[in-house]
Amino acid sequence: MKHYLLISVPMLALSACASQNSAITASDSQVHVRQMQTRVYDSLDKRDTLRSVLATLQDLGFVIDTADYEMATITATRLQEYQLRVTVTVRDRNSNQLAVRANARVDDQTIDDPRTYQDFFTVLDKAIFLTRHNVD
Amino acid sequence: MRKPGLLLALLAVSSVLSSCGSTQPDYFSPSQSSVVARKMQARVYFSVEESDVMSAAAALLQDMGYSIDEVEARLGVISASKRANATNRLQAFGTLTLDSMKCALTFLMACSGNYYGEIDDVQDIRLTLVSMPNDSGDVAVRITIQRTIYDKRGRVSEQSTITDADVYESMFAKLSKAVFLEEQGI
Repeated sequence: MKHYLLISVPMLALSACASQNSAITASDSQVHVRQMQTRVYDSLDKRDTLRSVLATLQDLGFVIDTADYEMATITATRLQEYQLRVTVTVRDRNSNQLAVRANARVDDQTIDDPRTYQDFFTVLDKAIFLTRHNVD
Repeated sequence: MRKPGLLLALLAVSSVLSSCGSTQPDYFSPSQSSVVARKMQARVYFSVEESDVMSAAAALLQDMGYSIDEVEARLGVISASKRANATNRLQAFGTLTLDSMKCALTFLMACSGNYYGEIDDVQDIRLTLVSMPNDSGDVAVRITIQRTIYDKRGRVSEQSTITDADVYESMFAKLSKAVFLEEQGI
Protein backbone atom coordinates (compact mmCIF):
# COMPACT_ATOMS: atom_id res chain seq x y z
CA MET A 1 0.00 0.00 0.00
CA LYS A 2 2.82 2.34 0.96
CA HIS A 3 4.52 1.68 -2.37
CA TYR A 4 1.42 2.70 -4.27
CA LEU A 5 1.25 5.93 -2.31
CA LEU A 6 4.93 6.62 -2.81
CA ILE A 7 4.56 6.21 -6.57
CA SER A 8 1.19 7.89 -7.05
CA VAL A 9 1.99 11.15 -5.24
CA PRO A 10 4.94 12.16 -7.48
CA MET A 11 3.01 10.91 -10.53
CA LEU A 12 0.10 13.19 -9.66
CA ALA A 13 2.45 16.10 -9.09
CA LEU A 14 4.18 15.50 -12.43
CA SER A 15 0.93 15.17 -14.34
CA ALA A 16 -0.32 18.43 -12.81
CA CYS A 17 2.87 20.18 -13.96
CA ALA A 18 2.52 18.78 -17.46
CA SER A 19 -1.10 19.91 -17.82
CA GLN A 20 -0.37 23.38 -16.44
CA ASN A 21 2.55 23.90 -18.80
CA SER A 22 0.72 22.53 -21.82
CA ALA A 23 -1.73 25.43 -21.48
CA ILE A 24 1.10 27.91 -22.13
CA THR A 25 1.51 26.70 -25.70
CA ALA A 26 -1.58 25.31 -27.37
CA SER A 27 -1.47 21.99 -29.13
CA ASP A 28 -3.86 22.75 -31.99
CA SER A 29 -2.65 23.00 -35.57
CA GLN A 30 -1.48 26.57 -36.22
CA VAL A 31 -2.69 26.48 -39.82
CA HIS A 32 -6.14 25.23 -38.83
CA VAL A 33 -6.47 27.85 -36.09
CA ARG A 34 -5.41 30.67 -38.42
CA GLN A 35 -7.83 29.58 -41.13
CA MET A 36 -10.70 29.44 -38.67
CA GLN A 37 -9.93 32.85 -37.16
CA THR A 38 -9.08 34.81 -40.32
CA ARG A 39 -11.09 36.43 -43.09
CA VAL A 40 -9.77 38.43 -46.02
CA TYR A 41 -11.39 41.71 -47.11
CA ASP A 42 -10.92 43.68 -50.33
CA SER A 43 -10.65 47.39 -50.95
CA LEU A 44 -11.05 48.94 -47.52
CA ASP A 45 -8.14 50.68 -45.83
CA LYS A 46 -6.71 49.71 -42.47
CA ARG A 47 -8.26 52.64 -40.61
CA ASP A 48 -11.78 51.99 -41.91
CA THR A 49 -11.41 48.27 -41.25
CA LEU A 50 -10.33 48.94 -37.65
CA ARG A 51 -13.24 51.34 -37.20
CA SER A 52 -15.57 48.64 -38.54
CA VAL A 53 -14.10 46.21 -36.01
CA LEU A 54 -14.79 48.73 -33.23
CA ALA A 55 -18.39 49.14 -34.42
CA THR A 56 -18.78 45.35 -34.52
CA LEU A 57 -17.42 44.93 -31.00
CA GLN A 58 -19.68 47.66 -29.63
CA ASP A 59 -22.65 46.09 -31.43
CA LEU A 60 -21.82 42.87 -29.64
CA GLY A 61 -21.66 44.64 -26.27
CA PHE A 62 -17.90 44.77 -25.74
CA VAL A 63 -15.86 47.38 -23.92
CA ILE A 64 -12.50 48.12 -25.58
CA ASP A 65 -9.48 47.26 -23.43
CA THR A 66 -6.76 48.33 -25.85
CA ALA A 67 -6.69 49.74 -29.37
CA ASP A 68 -3.51 50.42 -31.31
CA TYR A 69 -3.58 51.85 -34.80
CA GLU A 70 0.08 51.19 -35.62
CA MET A 71 -0.13 47.52 -34.65
CA ALA A 72 -3.73 47.38 -35.91
CA THR A 73 -4.75 45.47 -32.81
CA ILE A 74 -7.90 45.79 -30.70
CA THR A 75 -8.67 43.81 -27.55
CA ALA A 76 -12.10 43.94 -25.94
CA THR A 77 -14.04 42.31 -23.11
CA ARG A 78 -17.71 41.54 -22.56
CA LEU A 79 -18.95 40.76 -19.09
CA GLN A 80 -21.95 38.49 -18.69
CA GLU A 81 -22.32 35.36 -16.58
CA TYR A 82 -18.95 34.69 -18.21
CA GLN A 83 -16.05 36.90 -19.31
CA LEU A 84 -15.57 36.92 -23.06
CA ARG A 85 -12.31 38.44 -24.33
CA VAL A 86 -11.45 38.90 -27.97
CA THR A 87 -8.39 40.24 -29.80
CA VAL A 88 -8.73 41.39 -33.40
CA THR A 89 -5.76 42.15 -35.63
CA VAL A 90 -5.68 43.62 -39.13
CA ARG A 91 -2.75 42.89 -41.44
CA ASP A 92 -1.91 43.77 -45.02
CA ARG A 93 -2.24 40.60 -47.04
CA ASN A 94 -1.23 42.20 -50.30
CA SER A 95 -1.65 45.63 -51.89
CA ASN A 96 -5.42 45.19 -52.27
CA GLN A 97 -6.40 42.95 -49.41
CA LEU A 98 -6.44 43.00 -45.64
CA ALA A 99 -6.59 39.96 -43.39
CA VAL A 100 -8.69 40.34 -40.24
CA ARG A 101 -8.05 37.80 -37.51
CA ALA A 102 -10.02 37.34 -34.30
CA ASN A 103 -9.21 35.04 -31.42
CA ALA A 104 -11.47 34.70 -28.42
CA ARG A 105 -11.48 33.21 -24.95
CA VAL A 106 -14.33 32.69 -22.58
CA ASP A 107 -13.18 32.58 -18.97
CA ASP A 108 -10.27 30.12 -19.03
CA GLN A 109 -11.24 28.40 -22.29
CA THR A 110 -10.12 29.15 -25.84
CA ILE A 111 -13.01 29.28 -28.28
CA ASP A 112 -12.21 26.70 -30.92
CA ASP A 113 -15.62 26.38 -32.54
CA PRO A 114 -15.42 27.59 -36.19
CA ARG A 115 -19.11 28.56 -36.12
CA THR A 116 -18.43 31.11 -33.38
CA TYR A 117 -15.83 32.85 -35.56
CA GLN A 118 -18.17 32.69 -38.56
CA ASP A 119 -20.76 34.51 -36.44
CA PHE A 120 -18.21 37.21 -35.59
CA PHE A 121 -17.26 37.72 -39.24
CA THR A 122 -20.93 37.83 -40.27
CA VAL A 123 -21.40 40.84 -37.98
CA LEU A 124 -18.11 42.36 -39.19
CA ASP A 125 -19.20 41.90 -42.83
CA LYS A 126 -22.25 44.07 -42.11
CA ALA A 127 -20.19 46.72 -40.31
CA ILE A 128 -17.72 46.86 -43.20
CA PHE A 129 -20.59 47.17 -45.67
CA LEU A 130 -22.00 50.10 -43.64
CA THR A 131 -18.56 51.75 -43.40
CA ARG A 132 -18.08 51.40 -47.15
CA HIS A 133 -21.43 53.08 -47.72
CA ASN A 134 -20.77 55.65 -45.00
CA VAL A 135 -23.80 54.77 -42.88
CA ASP A 136 -23.66 55.62 -39.16
CA MET B 1 -21.76 -5.85 -6.01
CA ARG B 2 -19.81 -4.88 -9.06
CA LYS B 3 -22.78 -3.67 -11.04
CA PRO B 4 -23.27 -0.28 -9.34
CA GLY B 5 -19.59 0.48 -9.86
CA LEU B 6 -19.79 -0.46 -13.52
CA LEU B 7 -22.90 1.64 -13.94
CA LEU B 8 -21.21 4.63 -12.34
CA ALA B 9 -18.16 4.20 -14.58
CA LEU B 10 -20.39 4.05 -17.67
CA LEU B 11 -22.26 7.14 -16.55
CA ALA B 12 -19.02 9.02 -15.97
CA VAL B 13 -17.66 8.07 -19.42
CA SER B 14 -20.91 8.97 -21.19
CA SER B 15 -21.11 12.33 -19.42
CA VAL B 16 -17.53 13.14 -20.45
CA LEU B 17 -18.27 12.14 -24.04
CA SER B 18 -21.47 14.15 -24.15
CA SER B 19 -19.68 17.24 -22.82
CA CYS B 20 -17.08 16.84 -25.59
CA GLY B 21 -19.79 16.84 -28.21
CA SER B 22 -21.62 19.89 -26.90
CA THR B 23 -21.53 23.06 -28.98
CA GLN B 24 -20.55 26.46 -27.62
CA PRO B 25 -23.16 29.20 -27.10
CA ASP B 26 -23.72 31.96 -29.67
CA TYR B 27 -21.10 34.34 -28.32
CA PHE B 28 -20.99 36.55 -31.42
CA SER B 29 -24.58 36.49 -32.57
CA PRO B 30 -26.06 39.96 -32.15
CA SER B 31 -29.16 39.86 -30.00
CA GLN B 32 -32.50 41.14 -31.26
CA SER B 33 -32.10 44.09 -28.94
CA SER B 34 -28.80 45.19 -30.52
CA VAL B 35 -30.56 47.82 -32.68
CA VAL B 36 -32.29 49.19 -29.58
CA ALA B 37 -28.96 49.12 -27.73
CA ARG B 38 -27.24 51.02 -30.55
CA LYS B 39 -29.93 53.72 -30.45
CA MET B 40 -29.56 54.03 -26.70
CA GLN B 41 -25.75 54.05 -26.75
CA ALA B 42 -25.11 56.39 -29.70
CA ARG B 43 -25.55 60.08 -30.54
CA VAL B 44 -24.53 62.18 -33.53
CA TYR B 45 -22.87 65.56 -33.02
CA PHE B 46 -23.34 67.73 -36.07
CA SER B 47 -20.66 69.90 -37.65
CA VAL B 48 -17.95 69.26 -35.10
CA GLU B 49 -14.32 68.21 -35.29
CA GLU B 50 -13.64 64.67 -34.10
CA SER B 51 -10.68 65.94 -32.05
CA ASP B 52 -13.00 68.37 -30.21
CA VAL B 53 -15.40 65.53 -29.36
CA MET B 54 -12.51 63.37 -28.12
CA SER B 55 -11.10 66.17 -25.95
CA ALA B 56 -14.55 66.97 -24.59
CA ALA B 57 -15.11 63.30 -23.79
CA ALA B 58 -11.78 62.98 -21.98
CA ALA B 59 -12.55 66.10 -19.92
CA LEU B 60 -16.04 64.79 -19.13
CA LEU B 61 -14.65 61.43 -17.98
CA GLN B 62 -12.29 63.30 -15.66
CA ASP B 63 -15.25 65.38 -14.42
CA MET B 64 -17.03 62.14 -13.53
CA GLY B 65 -13.99 60.76 -11.70
CA TYR B 66 -12.86 58.19 -14.25
CA SER B 67 -9.25 57.23 -14.95
CA ILE B 68 -8.40 57.00 -18.63
CA ASP B 69 -7.06 53.50 -19.35
CA GLU B 70 -6.69 53.62 -23.13
CA VAL B 71 -6.70 56.29 -25.82
CA GLU B 72 -6.21 55.78 -29.54
CA ALA B 73 -7.00 59.10 -31.18
CA ARG B 74 -6.59 57.77 -34.73
CA LEU B 75 -9.41 55.30 -34.11
CA GLY B 76 -11.47 57.59 -31.89
CA VAL B 77 -11.23 55.27 -28.88
CA ILE B 78 -11.21 56.22 -25.19
CA SER B 79 -11.60 53.59 -22.48
CA ALA B 80 -11.88 54.55 -18.83
CA SER B 81 -12.71 53.02 -15.48
CA LYS B 82 -13.42 53.82 -11.86
CA ARG B 83 -14.19 52.01 -8.63
CA ALA B 84 -17.26 53.24 -6.80
CA ASN B 85 -19.45 52.37 -3.86
CA ALA B 86 -22.11 49.78 -4.68
CA THR B 87 -23.91 49.55 -1.36
CA ASN B 88 -27.64 49.43 -1.76
CA ARG B 89 -29.25 50.58 1.49
CA LEU B 90 -32.36 48.49 0.94
CA GLN B 91 -30.29 45.36 0.31
CA ALA B 92 -28.11 46.13 3.35
CA PHE B 93 -31.16 46.63 5.55
CA GLY B 94 -32.71 43.37 4.28
CA THR B 95 -29.62 41.27 4.85
CA LEU B 96 -28.94 42.73 8.30
CA THR B 97 -32.54 41.98 9.25
CA LEU B 98 -32.14 38.39 8.02
CA ASP B 99 -28.91 38.06 10.02
CA SER B 100 -30.61 39.40 13.15
CA MET B 101 -33.56 37.04 12.70
CA LYS B 102 -31.24 34.08 12.22
CA CYS B 103 -29.32 35.07 15.35
CA ALA B 104 -32.56 35.39 17.30
CA LEU B 105 -33.73 31.96 16.11
CA THR B 106 -30.45 30.31 17.04
CA PHE B 107 -30.36 32.25 20.29
CA LEU B 108 -27.35 31.39 22.45
CA MET B 109 -26.56 28.31 20.34
CA ALA B 110 -24.51 29.75 17.53
CA CYS B 111 -25.09 33.10 15.95
CA SER B 112 -24.17 32.12 12.41
CA GLY B 113 -25.89 34.88 10.44
CA ASN B 114 -23.72 35.45 7.38
CA TYR B 115 -25.97 37.34 4.99
CA TYR B 116 -24.02 40.53 5.72
CA GLY B 117 -21.12 39.21 3.64
CA GLU B 118 -23.40 39.05 0.59
CA ILE B 119 -24.16 42.77 0.63
CA ASP B 120 -22.86 44.56 -2.47
CA ASP B 121 -19.82 46.59 -1.49
CA VAL B 122 -17.93 48.13 -4.41
CA GLN B 123 -18.25 48.18 -8.18
CA ASP B 124 -15.67 48.51 -10.95
CA ILE B 125 -17.18 50.50 -13.83
CA ARG B 126 -15.53 50.34 -17.26
CA LEU B 127 -16.62 52.19 -20.32
CA THR B 128 -15.56 52.72 -23.90
CA LEU B 129 -16.34 55.76 -26.00
CA VAL B 130 -15.80 55.48 -29.74
CA SER B 131 -16.17 58.42 -32.09
CA MET B 132 -16.86 57.86 -35.77
CA PRO B 133 -16.72 60.82 -38.18
CA ASN B 134 -18.55 60.80 -41.50
CA ASP B 135 -18.02 62.68 -44.75
CA SER B 136 -20.63 65.31 -43.86
CA GLY B 137 -18.54 66.65 -40.98
CA ASP B 138 -20.67 65.01 -38.27
CA VAL B 139 -19.34 62.73 -35.57
CA ALA B 140 -21.23 59.74 -34.19
CA VAL B 141 -20.31 58.75 -30.64
CA ARG B 142 -21.10 55.41 -29.10
CA ILE B 143 -20.61 54.49 -25.47
CA THR B 144 -20.69 51.00 -23.92
CA ILE B 145 -20.56 50.58 -20.15
CA GLN B 146 -19.98 47.48 -18.03
CA ARG B 147 -19.62 46.90 -14.35
CA THR B 148 -18.50 44.24 -11.91
CA ILE B 149 -20.00 44.35 -8.43
CA TYR B 150 -18.18 42.80 -5.47
CA ASP B 151 -19.79 41.85 -2.16
CA LYS B 152 -18.36 42.48 1.31
CA ARG B 153 -16.39 39.23 1.07
CA GLY B 154 -14.75 40.39 -2.15
CA ARG B 155 -16.62 37.91 -4.33
CA VAL B 156 -18.10 38.93 -7.67
CA SER B 157 -21.84 39.25 -7.14
CA GLU B 158 -22.67 40.58 -10.62
CA GLN B 159 -20.94 41.41 -13.89
CA SER B 160 -22.97 42.92 -16.67
CA THR B 161 -23.39 45.49 -19.40
CA ILE B 162 -25.36 48.57 -18.36
CA THR B 163 -28.68 48.58 -20.21
CA ASP B 164 -30.38 51.40 -18.31
CA ALA B 165 -31.27 54.03 -20.95
CA ASP B 166 -31.26 56.80 -18.30
CA VAL B 167 -27.54 56.26 -17.66
CA TYR B 168 -26.68 56.78 -21.33
CA GLU B 169 -29.14 59.68 -21.62
CA SER B 170 -27.47 61.41 -18.68
CA MET B 171 -24.00 60.77 -20.04
CA PHE B 172 -24.81 62.14 -23.50
CA ALA B 173 -26.47 65.22 -21.96
CA LYS B 174 -23.20 65.89 -20.13
CA LEU B 175 -21.16 65.15 -23.26
CA SER B 176 -23.23 67.64 -25.28
CA LYS B 177 -22.43 70.29 -22.69
CA ALA B 178 -18.74 69.27 -22.71
CA VAL B 179 -18.58 69.49 -26.54
CA PHE B 180 -20.12 72.97 -26.36
CA LEU B 181 -17.59 74.01 -23.72
CA GLU B 182 -14.77 72.56 -25.84
CA GLU B 183 -15.90 74.51 -28.90
CA GLN B 184 -16.09 77.68 -26.82
CA GLY B 185 -12.61 77.01 -25.47
CA ILE B 186 -13.89 76.83 -21.86
